[in-house]
Amino acid sequence: MRFYNYISSMNAGLILLGLIGIASAIGSSLWPEMFFKTVYFRLLLLLFFVNMALCTFNSIKKLVAGKKRILHNKRQMLRSICLIMLHSGIVLIIVGASLNSWWGHSVQLSILQGDTVEINRIIPVNTPFQVKLLDFSIPFNEDGSPAQYYSTLQVASSGQNELQQTISVNHPLTFAGVKFYQNSYGYLLNAGAEDGETSKDLLVQDGDWISFESTRRTVKVFKYIPHFDPSLGMQTKSLEPKNPRVIYTVYEGEHMLGVGTAPFKERIKIDEQTYITFAQVRPYSILTVKTDPGMPLTAAGGILLMLGISIVLLMPRKKPNRSQSDKEDIAS
Amino acid sequence: MISIEHLLIYVIFLLYLASMVFYWAARQTPAWMRYASWLAMFGLLCNFLALAYHVAYSHRLPLTNGYEFMMSFVFITVLSHLLYEKRSRHAAAGAAVMLINVLLMVSIMVLMPQQIGQAGPLMPALKSPWLISHVLTAIAAYSAFALVSGLALVKLQANNPADDHDIYRITSLGFVMLTLSIVLGAIWAEQVWGSYWTWDPKETWALITWIIYAIYLHLHRQRGWRGNKARILLIAGFVLVLFTFFGVNYLLPGLHSYA
Repeated sequence: MRFYNYISSMNAGLILLGLIGIASAIGSSLWPEMFFKTVYFRLLLLLFFVNMALCTFNSIKKLVAGKKRILHNKRQMLRSICLIMLHSGIVLIIVGASLNSWWGHSVQLSILQGDTVEINRIIPVNTPFQVKLLDFSIPFNEDGSPAQYYSTLQVASSGQNELQQTISVNHPLTFAGVKFYQNSYGYLLNAGAEDGETSKDLLVQDGDWISFESTRRTVKVFKYIPHFDPSLGMQTKSLEPKNPRVIYTVYEGEHMLGVGTAPFKERIKIDEQTYITFAQVRPYSILTVKTDPGMPLTAAGGILLMLGISIVLLMPRKKPNRSQSDKEDIAS
Repeated sequence: MISIEHLLIYVIFLLYLASMVFYWAARQTPAWMRYASWLAMFGLLCNFLALAYHVAYSHRLPLTNGYEFMMSFVFITVLSHLLYEKRSRHAAAGAAVMLINVLLMVSIMVLMPQQIGQAGPLMPALKSPWLISHVLTAIAAYSAFALVSGLALVKLQANNPADDHDIYRITSLGFVMLTLSIVLGAIWAEQVWGSYWTWDPKETWALITWIIYAIYLHLHRQRGWRGNKARILLIAGFVLVLFTFFGVNYLLPGLHSYA
């Protein structure tokens, strides 16, 4: 009983809050990538959750037990209810976040225009469905920075088109409990390789190597530059494809023979009878695909927390003396 | 050539600095308090003009980068101080509050001069209606905590435990605003990044600040914490507020690095 009283007390709650604060400060400064996933930190959160849940339970019990007395003081009743709201809000947020960490999924999906993806192959879903990227576009600002990223998605289930919607940053799509967020984008390059008597079409990206049958020479696709300016070297002037170039390096075995910048559709000689032509750039969309079974609880918790704290702390009150303020509180 | 906005920044800095000096001097010569308040009001007017000028050419509210946030933060802090001074007829905290504002103005001139007079296009992540509510509540919270730390600093010398009612009320308001800012920011983060909480440095340090003020409010209300130990906690809270802004922006980069 003594342990129960202590673990559900305000003192324990404040000590745990303080420890969470100190641990977060140290973890965020020294090991920001992994500290918050460690068992020690999660144990602190678990203890705080237990404290908050018991504290809320005790407050509800006290409210119900003292209902008749409190009913005469509407102000005190409102305060007690709001204290319960804000503490239960914190409990719900922790439960929702835990459900998400146990059963929620989040994956990055890179998808080219025209491609279709079976969603149940990348993330567990109740009802299998497909998503096709109909269109991907990037309008640019005057300074060449991206103004927005737009992906037009078509959702189909059992061969039937269910939905078509254009998503962008800040405007996700939700279908059957799965949320699709516009996250980022990338580039692929269409290239043609002439290799003696044969030729082949390739889809390459930065860092890829191209090899040939008829020569020992190889080509490394070093970097795609959307807005090439010789004065900036390998830095692009903007992200808008105003003067696209591909920087490539040619090797013979281990030995680098040279570096070049290729405009699109220019035939580049690599060796006798060996040529490369970069045809065009194909931007692809990067989406975050997510399920979060804890989201309704977390959202409800956030609303309760905001409402509870706002009413409790902004409710007008008389200038109290110390003993009055101590008597006034029912929670904790 | 120096721009109008640069000129206004220097004028605001000088007016707030002069106001601080007069508030300080008024501790010995109370008649100077009037001049201190007038100088703060002139500074506030220039601060408003600088913000209005910035809004006029940027066509958006000044809430999207470090410079805009700082200018709005200083404006709301000085406005809150003057309103508090008028309402409470108590101006002893003027020197401390104006010192905070002077230091914030110095930080604008030293740390973010390249942002003065600039209004580039917004990155896609910032094009959201949640931006206004998230940042405005953060500014309101930071301003309340700045005012409270000024009051706490002054009352630290007086060491009169019966005089903390205003400090508690303003801290409560700041805490409500900080809670709203964190929750609204989480809703926005869920919309834009697909995750409402990532333990990003800005989120983490905002939570640490929230914890400090939550501890103060509990101890004040439930344990009757008054006097200097409570005031030291509040001053420490404001140091954390400043670290959440400057320390995180300049030392611990994360998703909020543009702020």
